[in-house]
Amino acid sequence: MLGEDDDVFDSVTWESPSAPTYDAGPSAPTGPGFRQSTAESEPGHGPHDPKWEGYLITSVKDPVKELADTKDAYVSYLVSAKTNLPIFSTPNPSARRRFQDFVFLRNHLSKDFPACVVPPLPDKHRLEYVTGDRFSPEFMERRRADLHRFLQRLSRHPTLQRSTLLRAFFESTEWHVTMHQHVAHPPGPEHTTGVIDSISDTLLNAFSRVRKPDERFLAMREGVDKFEEGIVLTERLWSRIRNRTNDLTGDYHDMAVAVQGLGFLESGITDPLNHFSNTLLEFSALLRHTTQTTTDPFLIHLHSLLQYSHANRAVLKLRDQKQMDFEELSDYLSGVTSERDRLAAVISGHAGSTGLGLSSYLKDRVDALRGADDDRSRVEKMRKLDAKIKELQDAVQTAHETSDAFSDETLREQTVFQYAKEAEMKEMLGNLADGQMEFYKAAMDEWDRIIPIIQRIRVDV
Amino acid sequence: MDPYETENPFEEDTDRVQSEASSAYRVNLSAPSSPPSQSSRIPSSPSLGSASRPAFPSSGSHRQPQAYKSDFCCTRDQWLHSGEEVEIVITDALKTSVNSSSTYITYVIKSGTAEAQHRYSEFESLRTSLARLYPTLIIPPIPSKQTIGDYAVKQAKAKEDAAMIARRKRMLQTFLNRIARHPILSNEHVFHRFLDGEVSWTEVLHSPPLSLLPTNILKAPSHNPTDQNASPGYTALPNPSATHALRRPDQRFLDSEVFTNKFAAHLSGPMEKVTRRTMKRWSDSSHDHAELGAALNGFSLNESGQLSSAIEKTGQAVDATYMSTTLLLQELEQNWAEPLHEYTQFATIIKKLLVYRHQKHVQYEMTQENLEAKREQLEELEKSEHAARRLEEALGRGRTSADSPRTEDGTPSSGDNSRADTGYLPPHPGPNPVRRRAPGMGFLSALSYTLHGMMDVDPATARRNAISKAREQISLLEDALHLSAQDLKYSSSTIQADLDRFQRQKVADIREMAISMAKSHRDWCKKNLEAWEEAKREVEKIPDHPNRMLEEIVEDSGGVANGSRESTSTIDGH
Repeated sequence: MLGEDDDVFDSVTWESPSAPTYDAGPSAPTGPGFRQSTAESEPGHGPHDPKWEGYLITSVKDPVKELADTKDAYVSYLVSAKTNLPIFSTPNPSARRRFQDFVFLRNHLSKDFPACVVPPLPDKHRLEYVTGDRFSPEFMERRRADLHRFLQRLSRHPTLQRSTLLRAFFESTEWHVTMHQHVAHPPGPEHTTGVIDSISDTLLNAFSRVRKPDERFLAMREGVDKFEEGIVLTERLWSRIRNRTNDLTGDYHDMAVAVQGLGFLESGITDPLNHFSNTLLEFSALLRHTTQTTTDPFLIHLHSLLQYSHANRAVLKLRDQKQMDFEELSDYLSGVTSERDRLAAVISGHAGSTGLGLSSYLKDRVDALRGADDDRSRVEKMRKLDAKIKELQDAVQTAHETSDAFSDETLREQTVFQYAKEAEMKEMLGNLADGQMEFYKAAMDEWDRIIPIIQRIRVDV
Repeated sequence: MDPYETENPFEEDTDRVQSEASSAYRVNLSAPSSPPSQSSRIPSSPSLGSASRPAFPSSGSHRQPQAYKSDFCCTRDQWLHSGEEVEIVITDALKTSVNSSSTYITYVIKSGTAEAQHRYSEFESLRTSLARLYPTLIIPPIPSKQTIGDYAVKQAKAKEDAAMIARRKRMLQTFLNRIARHPILSNEHVFHRFLDGEVSWTEVLHSPPLSLLPTNILKAPSHNPTDQNASPGYTALPNPSATHALRRPDQRFLDSEVFTNKFAAHLSGPMEKVTRRTMKRWSDSSHDHAELGAALNGFSLNESGQLSSAIEKTGQAVDATYMSTTLLLQELEQNWAEPLHEYTQFATIIKKLLVYRHQKHVQYEMTQENLEAKREQLEELEKSEHAARRLEEALGRGRTSADSPRTEDGTPSSGDNSRADTGYLPPHPGPNPVRRRAPGMGFLSALSYTLHGMMDVDPATARRNAISKAREQISLLEDALHLSAQDLKYSSSTIQADLDRFQRQKVADIREMAISMAKSHRDWCKKNLEAWEEAKREVEKIPDHPNRMLEEIVEDSGGVANGSRESTSTIDGH
């Protein structure tokens, strides 16, 4: 495995100090950066800083229609990876998977790793299923790109990239068996915290808020909100520009036709005007090309990033939930404890009534009226309360630990997401800039080309 | 007289068109002073008219004014024909309320050292005046008035709309320069006075030549509608409608008309519509870019580090696109949309010009028809006159045959000899002393006089009156036909020459439009390219994702072989 890795990458010197630019790696979708090349090895990681154990470069390629002539036809994709992660048994695992397999992978990963931001899958696109367009090359290519991005996000996650399920997804030759096994024996501890669940279910409702909000998470939440706001606004404006550009494509086409018509009328300059018309046509084509190859992918990516961010937000929400679990349980515990204390005070000589306020006094009165004021029942009740307190204390303890662990995990997760976000933004903006540059360069050449042709028209006024 | 006249074999043509008799009449009729309706103005016209306007009828060289021209009518003329590239500039548009109850915009025109201020309506008036002075020339258009819709939408604001004023400023300047470059129009003193600004436009309007313009230019000489000495034959010309069909149309001008119609339809149709649509789209697009630029800028504030500056730079690239698109839009407006609109207007003007020529042609044909009809009528009259005379002669001979009855049978067959025969007959005193044309007339009258007793006298007198009237009309029509032929010839050649000049100008303008459009787009691309390149450089600085193939990780990976499994399992579940 290592030997193979060395073979593959021997010829490439990633770390050459004289050339700190990005080198076109043999097959690296995310080539090594020119500045961050040593960041990984730097010590001084904070407690919440994620750590990548190795790399996993994935790709989804070659969609093929399987069982083409049956009603069970489906599309399979070649998923492959390059990795040095020890969990993989080969550095170049690959398999063919269908969309359903991706769905299974995602569902189970999000179940198994609730604290991780598991990237979302592309929509199922019901319409294409109904119309039968799901085997069209455009649809398959688009889905391939979506799935590629999904796997890329998984592989960029320091925890998820090492999950057994993902490994199986890439390596297993008996994927169906793996799926069954996984469902039957999910990894990790079972859900045994029945007390918390039952209690918190009764206590919590959707509108409750964290009482002692953690500054860090508030800031995070705000950051996510603003990020999503920015993405949404950008997406909205950019799609408006996209539509305008589309309209302009038509306009320039029409103008080319009009200029050609003018050329027919002006017999003396038909030829140069035809050239000019061609330039307008070319410009129109370039506009369309940019929309298709730059703007549309950019918008798709933008939207996909927004959904990824939604998943991130869900994890943040879940963390709040855990904190609320803990807070509510603590409240409940203190309530029960004070009840027990009051009872104890009553038993030890009705001393507590005065100190415990009007409500306790009223409760005593009511209890007295119901005839439940004999000490025996009080002692019985106290014993029950003690047991409950004991149970609750455990639960609070667990909830506290869970909440803390979750918080830590969330902090790390946020950093992970930040990395992923930056990398994706870089790719997205970079592609956008590349596309724009390509367009402007080509258009500029085209206009430059036509100027001397028009200038050659000879007129004496 | 005029280059077009000297160029064209006018004299040869008149021979073809006119009869020998009409040339004599022409001299007779054009020699006396002008028709009574215009006579009152005559005293003032020779002195003022010829002094102020020597340019049009007499200035010899239109093709290359600077080469030939030596006698300038004024300093503006001299400046315009100084041989250098001169340009009239509208430097400013001022809001004033001089001589008016409401405010209006005046345009400051600088031509060399002279500076004049005129409002839009005066430009309009200048154009109308020139169009009437030169019915055979393509007078360049001025920007059209706002539509009623504009007024409705903007109401009082419409008059002071900055964009509209700027547009007018540009287009009015083009209008002036087009006149200044025109080989004939540039010599027009009215135009010079407009540029000079020394006298008010009202004064120019009320002094010759503009004050001498006839109400109907179709009934005035084509080469100079203000000619006070124009032949009265012009009054005999019909006033045909523009749609009157020609019997023998000129194929060349039919082609011109067809072409102009096609050109107008194409410009105002596909060209202008698609241009307007495109500009609207660019304008929307630039707004979107402005919004997006601001949005990205706001976005960048929420992010940190390299990502933030990358987003910021991307936003700046989008902002740059907004700026460059605004510029592109302006240039498209000025160098593409406006000339395009101008040429749409030109097409309308040329159509009118062709209508004028068409009407002139119809005038010619109608006059010809009229003349033929009159001649036929005259022939008819003369025939009946002749018959009557022969009858009278026969009667008279019958009377003489009473003296010598032998010749009575021979006369009816030999009517030709009658004139010779009657020559020596004793003349009767004519009952109609006005008619003394033919020597035979006297005899004729005498006969009719003698016949008075047995025949009614009135038909004969009426016939003679009709004959004399017909002859008068024929002579007038012959004259008119000659004038009309001359005008048609002049109009055709002048219009053709100006159309040729216009065509060259058009090609030159289209060339310029295309070049400027290409350059605007190229510059637009260039600016945006630079902005995006800068953005790209900033995007590149965003650190790469840690999940990538690094040499050291490749080497290290063996060490963490089993730890990874455990680290995952600790986070499995809750």
